[in-house]
Amino acid sequence: MVEPIYLIVIALGAAFLLGLLRKTGSALQIALTLAALAGMVFISAQWAYGIIKGTTQAAEIFTSGMNPPLSINLFMGRSEAVLLLLVNSAAFLSTMYLGREHKKTSVYMLMLLLVFVVGLNGIILTRDLFNLFVFIEIVSIASAGLIALRSDIRQLGAGFKFIIAGALASGFMLIGIIFTYYATGSLNIDVITGMMSPALASAGYIGLFLVFIGIMIELKPFPVNGWGIDAYQASIPPVSALVAAGTATAMFYAFTKITAMTGGIFLNASMYIGALTFVGMNVVALKQTAARRLLGYSSISQVGLLVLVFSLVKIFGIAGGELIVFGLLVSHALAKAVLFWLSGIIGKESINDWGIIRKRNILIVAFAVAVGALLALPPFPSFFAKWELITSLAVKGQYGWIAVILGGALLEAVYLMRWFGNAVKDSFNEEDNLDFRFGTLVPVITGTAALLALGYFSANLSVFENNINWLLPAVVIVLLLLDFLPAIVKNILLIAAIAWYGYPLLQAIEGYRSIFAAIFVIGAVITLLPGFMNKGRRPGFYPAVSMMFAGLVGIIEATDMLTFFFFWELMTLGSYFLILRGKKSKPHALSYMLFSLGGAYLLMTGFSMSFAEAGGTSIALDILKTVSGSSLSGIITILLAVGFMTKTASAGLHIWLPGAHAEAEGDVSPMVSGILLKAGVFGLLMTFIALGDQSIGKINIPYVLSWIGVITALTANYMAAMQEDAKRLLAYSSIAQMGYALFGISLMSHLGWLSALSLAIVHFTYKVILFLSVAGVVHRVKTRNMYQMGGLITRMPVTFFMVLVSIIALSGIPPLAGFSGRWLTYNAVIEKGWLLQGVVAGVSGLIAFLYLFRLIFAIFLGQLKDVHRRVKEAPFWILLPQILLILLVLYLSFFPGAFLRPIGDIVSEFHPEGALVWNGATAVSEFGYWNGEAVMWVFIALFAANFALLFFLNRGAQKIKQFNIVYAAERPARPETTHFAYNMFAPYRKALGFLEYPITTKFWSGVADLMHSIAGFTRRIYTGNGQTYLLQIIVFVVISFLLSNGGK
Amino acid sequence: MIGTIAVSTGSLLVLVGLWSALTNRDIIRMIVGFTIFDVGIHLIMISVGYISGGTAPIISNLSDIGVSYVDPVPQALVLTAIVIGLGITAFMLTYAVNMYEKKGTLEIDKFEELKW
Repeated sequence: MVEPIYLIVIALGAAFLLGLLRKTGSALQIALTLAALAGMVFISAQWAYGIIKGTTQAAEIFTSGMNPPLSINLFMGRSEAVLLLLVNSAAFLSTMYLGREHKKTSVYMLMLLLVFVVGLNGIILTRDLFNLFVFIEIVSIASAGLIALRSDIRQLGAGFKFIIAGALASGFMLIGIIFTYYATGSLNIDVITGMMSPALASAGYIGLFLVFIGIMIELKPFPVNGWGIDAYQASIPPVSALVAAGTATAMFYAFTKITAMTGGIFLNASMYIGALTFVGMNVVALKQTAARRLLGYSSISQVGLLVLVFSLVKIFGIAGGELIVFGLLVSHALAKAVLFWLSGIIGKESINDWGIIRKRNILIVAFAVAVGALLALPPFPSFFAKWELITSLAVKGQYGWIAVILGGALLEAVYLMRWFGNAVKDSFNEEDNLDFRFGTLVPVITGTAALLALGYFSANLSVFENNINWLLPAVVIVLLLLDFLPAIVKNILLIAAIAWYGYPLLQAIEGYRSIFAAIFVIGAVITLLPGFMNKGRRPGFYPAVSMMFAGLVGIIEATDMLTFFFFWELMTLGSYFLILRGKKSKPHALSYMLFSLGGAYLLMTGFSMSFAEAGGTSIALDILKTVSGSSLSGIITILLAVGFMTKTASAGLHIWLPGAHAEAEGDVSPMVSGILLKAGVFGLLMTFIALGDQSIGKINIPYVLSWIGVITALTANYMAAMQEDAKRLLAYSSIAQMGYALFGISLMSHLGWLSALSLAIVHFTYKVILFLSVAGVVHRVKTRNMYQMGGLITRMPVTFFMVLVSIIALSGIPPLAGFSGRWLTYNAVIEKGWLLQGVVAGVSGLIAFLYLFRLIFAIFLGQLKDVHRRVKEAPFWILLPQILLILLVLYLSFFPGAFLRPIGDIVSEFHPEGALVWNGATAVSEFGYWNGEAVMWVFIALFAANFALLFFLNRGAQKIKQFNIVYAAERPARPETTHFAYNMFAPYRKALGFLEYPITTKFWSGVADLMHSIAGFTRRIYTGNGQTYLLQIIVFVVISFLLSNGGK
Repeated sequence: MIGTIAVSTGSLLVLVGLWSALTNRDIIRMIVGFTIFDVGIHLIMISVGYISGGTAPIISNLSDIGVSYVDPVPQALVLTAIVIGLGITAFMLTYAVNMYEKKGTLEIDKFEELKW
C-alpha cells in the first residue's frame, strides 16, 4: 500500500520536473503529467478498494516526525479514499481532454493543474485547520490561473472577480481560524472536535462562525455567487469540469469537516443556505441559454442540494445518511464533468445550438446519461440516494423538506429536459465540426460508463432490500450496444426477447396483474411488428422502446415500492425518448416528461408516507394495505391517485397527451396510447385495491374522482370531435376513454371495476388498430388532416374495414366488445346511485359518435381526391397487427364471457358482492341480462338481410362520377373550406365552443410564465460587476451572522 | 495594552481595506485595499498570541528557559499568511496588467462581459 503522502509528493514532484522540461516537446510534458495523475489515481483507488473491502485500515499520516497537535496530520479513511479517487480521476481525464489546448498555452498550465490537484488532495486529507486554509488558497490561486488560460477578456474579467471574492472569503476564514485558535488553543480539527462544548461554542462563536461562513462562501451560495458562475462559464471546458467535479467535491468535504468540528451549531444555517441555493439557482437557470453558464447554475444548485441534504441528515439523525450524500455527490460530480466535457466537444455557446450533437450518437447517449443522473432517474446512484433520502425524511415527518427537494428537482428537470429536447430536435449546420477525438471521447465515455456501473452497485448498497430485475435494463443496454445493426435484426431480437421473457411471465402471474401483463407483453409484440417496414438502422428507437417495455414489465413484477418506482421512472424515460422521436414533438415530449416527473414525485411522496406510517421498516407494496386505517391514508390515496392520473391524463393533467400522442411516429402512437396509458390504470387499481374507499373529512375521494373521470370523458370527447388532425382526434379519444376507466374504478364496486378492466383490454385492441390504420393512411397520403383525405374506401378497403369495426367497438354499441364495458358501467352506476355522473358519461358517449363518424367519413367516404387516385392499400406490416387484433375484437365480441368471466373472478377477490351471474353465454346482473353471442347472431342476420336488400334495390343505379359535380363559375380560393369535413361540426362548435376554452393550458402556461418572469427578475442580481459581488458577500455574511446568532 | 492596540489597529485596517476595495472603481486601488485588509488580518493574528511582556519565542541558550515568551503558533501562521497574501496580491496585479493590456482601462465596471 503506497503511503497517501505520495499523493502530494508525486504531484509536486511532477510539477517541479515540468519546470525543468520547459524546452522539451509538449508530448513529453503531457505524458509526465498524465503519468503523475495516473499514479495518484492508482494510490487513491488502492486505498478505496482496500478500505471498502476491509483489507486495509484507515490510516493517519504524521508529518515532521511529531504527533498532532504539534504537527499537521492527514487522515485517509473511507470517505477520503473514495473522494480522492473521484477527484484524481476527474483530473486525469480532464488533462487527457486538454491535449491540444496544452500546445496553445505552455507548460505552466500543466504545472498549475498539478498544483491545483495537490490543493484538492490536501483539502480532503488534512486534519489541520490552518493547513486546510493553505490548501484552499492553493486551489484558489491555481484555479484563478486556470480560468484565464486563454487570456481573453471574458476570462480575465471572470478570473479577477473569482480571485477577489476568494480573497475576501479566505480573509474571513483566516480571522476565524485565529480566533478559534485563541478560544481552543489548537488548530487540529480532531482536537477541537473533541473539546467542543456549548460553552466553548458560545465563547468562540465568532471564530467558528467565520470559519464556517468562509467555507460556505467557497461553496458559492445563492445569491452571492455571481463570481463563481462567471468562472464556470469563462473557463475552458476541461477546467470547468475539474472545478465542478473536483473543487466542489473537495470544498463540500471541507464543509463536512467544519460542521463536525463546530459540533453542528451551524447545521440550521447550512440547511437554509443549502435550500436557498438549490431552489434559487434552479429558478434563475430557467431563463439561461448560455450552455456553460447554465451548467454553472446547475452545479451550484447541486452543491446546495448536497449541503441541504447533509444538514438534514445530521439534524434528523438519518441512518445511512453517508450513503445518501455519497450517491448524490458522485452522481453530480461525474454527470457535471461529462456535461462540461461535452460542452467543449460541441463548442457552441448557446443551448439552442446543440443539435450538432446528433452528428455522433454516442454523444447523445452520454448527454442523456448525464441529464438522467442529475435528475436522479434510474438506474443512477442519485436515484437510490434520493429514494432513501425521501423515505427517511418521511419517517422523520419532514414533508416540508420533501416538498422543497422534489420541487427544486422539478425546476431542474424543466431546463435540463428542455435542453436535451433541443439537442435532439433542433437543426444544425452540417459544416460545423465537433471536437471529436480520442482525448475528448475517452473522458466522456469513462464518465458515462462509471455512472451506469455505479448505479448498479448502489442498488446493492441501498439499505432497502429490493428485487430489481437487472435483466430488464440489461436488454436496453444490449440494444444500445447493437444499435449499429439494421432495424429488422433488432426488431427480431427485441420481439424474441419479449416473447422469451413474457411467455413464462404470463403463465406465472396471477390476479389483476395478469390482465395488465397480457396487455403489455402481447401489446409489445404486436405493436413492434410494423417496425419490420424500416429498411435502415432506425438509430435510437430500440433502446427507447425496450426501455419503455422493460419499465412496464418491471412494474408488473415489482413487489416492493423501490422496484416499482425504479421501473415506473424507467418506463417514463423510455416513453419520453420514444415520443421525442416524432417530427414536431419537442414541446409535447417536454410537457409529457414534466407532468410524468411531477406525478412520479407525488408517487414517491405517497410511497414514503406509507412506508413511514407502516413503521418505517418494510418497503413491500403490501404495506399499502396496512396503512389504509391510518390517519394519513386519505392523503396517501390522493398522492398516489393524482400521481397515476398524470399518466392516464385526467382532465387538468392532460395537456401533454394530445400533442405527444399525435406527433409521435406512426407505430409509436399505438404503443403510447394503446399500451402505456394502461400503466396509469394499473397504478390506480393498485392504489384502490390496497387503500380502499378513503375520505378526507367529509369528502369522499372516489366520489371526486368519479366526477373528474366523467368530465374528462365529456370534454375530451368534445375536443376529439373538433379536431382536423386524425391522430389528435384519436389522442383526445384516448383521454376520454381513460376518463371512463377512472370513472369505473371510482365506482368501487364489482361491476365498476369489471367495466374498467374490460375497458382497459378492449381499448388496447381498438386504439392500437385505429392508430395503426391512421398510420397506414398517413403513410400513403402524407397528411394527417382529414379534410385532405376522403373517398379512400376504394383505395384502402382493408384499412376501412379495420376502422369500421374498431369505431363500432369503441362507440360501445352492440354487438361489438365495447358494449360490454358500457353495459357494465350503466349497471354499476345504477347500483351505486351516482346517476348524475352516469348521465354525463352517457352524454359524452353520444358526443363520441360525432368524432367516430367524422373519422370514418372524412377519411374513407365522400369524394376521392385527385392526388389520391393511385394510393395503395396500407403496407403489410401495418395491416398484420390490425388483422390480428381485429380477430381478437371479434372473438371478444362473440364470446364476452371469455374475458369477463376470468376478470370477474379476479375482481371478486376485492369486491365479492354484486358479481355477474353467468347463465351459459348470458351475463345476468341485478338489473338485467346480456347475451353477447345471441346479440351477435341477431345482428349478423339483420346486417346480412339489409345488405342483401340494398344490394338488390340498387342493382340498376347509375354510378355518379366524381366530376359530375361542377363549380358555379368560380373556383374557391381555399378549397378546403368548401369541404364538408373541414370544420365538420361547426354548428355544434357554435353551441358548445366554450368547452374548447383552453382553461387547463392557460393555467399551466401561466404557471410557466410566472416562473420564468421570476427567473428573469431574480438573475439581475448577477450584475457582472466584481465590486457588487464583494458587497453581496459582505452583506450575506452579516445577515447570516445576525440570523444564526439571533437564533441562539 | 499593546495587544489591545494591535487588535484595534488590525480591525481598523481590515475595515479600511474593505472600504477601499468596495468604493474604488480602479482595480489597482482595489488591490491596495485588499493588501490593507491582509495587513489588518496579520496584525490581529499576531496580537492573539501576544503575552504582555513576552519575548520572542526563540530559545538560544539555557538561560532563556523559564522566560515568558509569546505564543509561537500565530507567529508561524502569520508568516505563512503573509506569503500567501503576497502570492495573491502578485496574482491580482498580473491580472490587472493583462486586463489593462486587453481593454486599456482599469475600471472594474468595464469588465461586465459575463452577467445574468
